Amino acid sequence: MDLTFSPEQESIREAVRSVLADRIPAPRARAELAPDPGLWREAATLGWFGLGLPEAVGGAGYGLPEETILFVELGRSLAAGPWLGTVLATHALAAVPALREDLAKAVGGGTRVAVVDDPADELGDATRPSGTVRGVADGDVADVFLVLGGRRVRWVLARGGGVRVAVRESLDPTRRVADVSFADAAAELLGAEASSLRRTALVLVAAEALGIAERTLEASVAHAKTREQFGRPIGSFQAVKHRCADMAVRTEVARSIVTFAAVALRDLEPGAPRHAQQAKVLATSAALANGHDNVQNHGGMGFTWEADAHLFLKRAWLLEHAFGTRTAHLEALAAPWRAG
Amino acid sequence: MEIRFSAAEEAFRTDARAWLEANVPRDRRPVGADLAALRDYDLAWQRRMFEGGWAGVSWPREYGGRGASLMEQVIWYEEYARAGAPEVTTTFVGLNHAGPTLIACGSEEQKAFHLPRILRGDVVWCQGFSEPNAGSDLASLQTRAVIEGEELVVSGQKIWTSFGNVAEFQELLVRTDPEAPRHRGISWVICAMDSPGIDIRPIKTLTGDQHFCEVFYEGVRIPLRNVVGRLNDGWRVAMATLGFERGTAFLSEQIRLARRVEDLAALARSVPGPRGGRAIDDDELARRLALARAEVDAMRAMTYRSVSLAVRTGVPGAEASVIRLFFSELVQRIDLLALDILGPAAVERRVEGPGARWADAYLGGLSQTIGGGTKDIQRNIIGERMLGLPR
Repeated sequence: MDLTFSPEQESIREAVRSVLADRIPAPRARAELAPDPGLWREAATLGWFGLGLPEAVGGAGYGLPEETILFVELGRSLAAGPWLGTVLATHALAAVPALREDLAKAVGGGTRVAVVDDPADELGDATRPSGTVRGVADGDVADVFLVLGGRRVRWVLARGGGVRVAVRESLDPTRRVADVSFADAAAELLGAEASSLRRTALVLVAAEALGIAERTLEASVAHAKTREQFGRPIGSFQAVKHRCADMAVRTEVARSIVTFAAVALRDLEPGAPRHAQQAKVLATSAALANGHDNVQNHGGMGFTWEADAHLFLKRAWLLEHAFGTRTAHLEALAAPWRAG
Repeated sequence: MEIRFSAAEEAFRTDARAWLEANVPRDRRPVGADLAALRDYDLAWQRRMFEGGWAGVSWPREYGGRGASLMEQVIWYEEYARAGAPEVTTTFVGLNHAGPTLIACGSEEQKAFHLPRILRGDVVWCQGFSEPNAGSDLASLQTRAVIEGEELVVSGQKIWTSFGNVAEFQELLVRTDPEAPRHRGISWVICAMDSPGIDIRPIKTLTGDQHFCEVFYEGVRIPLRNVVGRLNDGWRVAMATLGFERGTAFLSEQIRLARRVEDLAALARSVPGPRGGRAIDDDELARRLALARAEVDAMRAMTYRSVSLAVRTGVPGAEASVIRLFFSELVQRIDLLALDILGPAAVERRVEGPGARWADAYLGGLSQTIGGGTKDIQRNIIGERMLGLPR
């Protein structure tokens, strides 16, 4: 049993972090908020989209724990772009030997994929989906929609017939959302299992949320050490210090369950589906609460557009609404107790 | 990264499980006011573990312990809780605090005399650290010890001494140099509880039980050879063992908490809910139960992470204080949830039935965020030592 990061994993983290730091200047709010094509190309060159795929299909040969490292960093830097959909798509495509060309293109950064999450099959589960799904993250920049139904996984070209994308004003300026409507659209059925991809998605969204929790904790601590009032750093006051301590506890809780869930899912442990949901619940809770506290800790500055604090909180809300809210997951987790 | 244990560690688990299944006492642990009966029960169990070769799993072999690795300790405490083995209370200070302190800082003579007695279950140790005016701020303790010839003469008062009235020995912190800076004038001494001049008065707690004591010292004579470590170096001695043996022992408590969540889910299926139906049919109660289990699972993950970090680096990390704070508040959330699930039965303190058990747990749990450093102190520690915030 070992839940520490190996030197190799640490070097993945360092590499990802330094690329993102170069590409995404802080404060974030002054920067270009749309996806950066240069970053996307560099990510493809560095193999980020195939990090968790076997080498035999063009991946780096790592697994979900290493992919969570990537997504923690993406969360920390508020990177814009359809990262999650594209990584999930490579997993879905890798399961189908006939689609090696599509896989190579996606791993190479040539396909941007947004996820349409439809667990209740409101689009129908046939090969020609019909209906509308709201709040599709990065729906406006997608080349392809990966439609996750109750059981099936479908691949729908965004610019094919029968697909309409209506961009909505997003709560989060760094991640756009869209309503995606299908009217008898042509879809290709992939062999992958929706439930398995959804569990991977839960852990990766949780990882991104963990990144938000980490970064807001660090920002609050840095501010509390330097900002002075009444002639002393505000971090010396228990009210501020204790709020920072609570942020640290939430972060540690989130980090532990996300790591545990990633390893459990990789190793097909029996508790893995439960842990994936728990990771999503606890990591988004940490991101939301830390995001809120971080605004508070920065006082008046925290309420401005100029400071980054609001961006982390807003991203946390998008993550909360990705792949099921806390309420939905907790009720699902309690369902076995309620049966019979 | 791996959450599975190695084959050798699983073999250790098989041995531990088999021994525990065959040896965990079948008779129930005495509850209530009879502390002497509790002491006898705990010491008999300790003796049994000693005879089976399972006493002091974390203690080095040269001192009669099992010499288990950190991973083996994790497994032992998991199996210990799984088997429903007795909670460690009267023997806690001896096994997890005084014993390890003697191993780290005691003289050969002190070790040779005391360690086998602790391991064999011959004696109970208690702690004499806190005072009425030295709780969270322990270093301000005032109990004085003056050197007279080959003896220390102790006068003062200690408080919150668990099981002081059934203990043979006490790990006692006294001020031996009142002129020195406060952390430097303290000594750690072994005090025999039957020494003349000691007066022990039980304190009735809000749960109604009396295992806490006040201890008064009036001219109590303690041989100088009972000082552990050097004179005036007691603060360092006391801090030397606040490390990992407590971290792994803590796992049993965590696993017991996980089981309580399962028990609570079963209870919620059997008692009526606030709006008819069963308690578990209430959405809010169901979600709180699911959240409790998620937090219990997260705590196990945190402990695993912490143990594996300690294996890698050789020292316990700062996250230990995070685990402690999170655990203490989680216990209280779960106790509160239990009373909310119980509904009207929560206010009845029956001896039998689920109502009494959960109400007692709730009341007892109030001490979780007080004993061993209040939650406020824990947050200061996290803020200052882990995050580097100014004092």
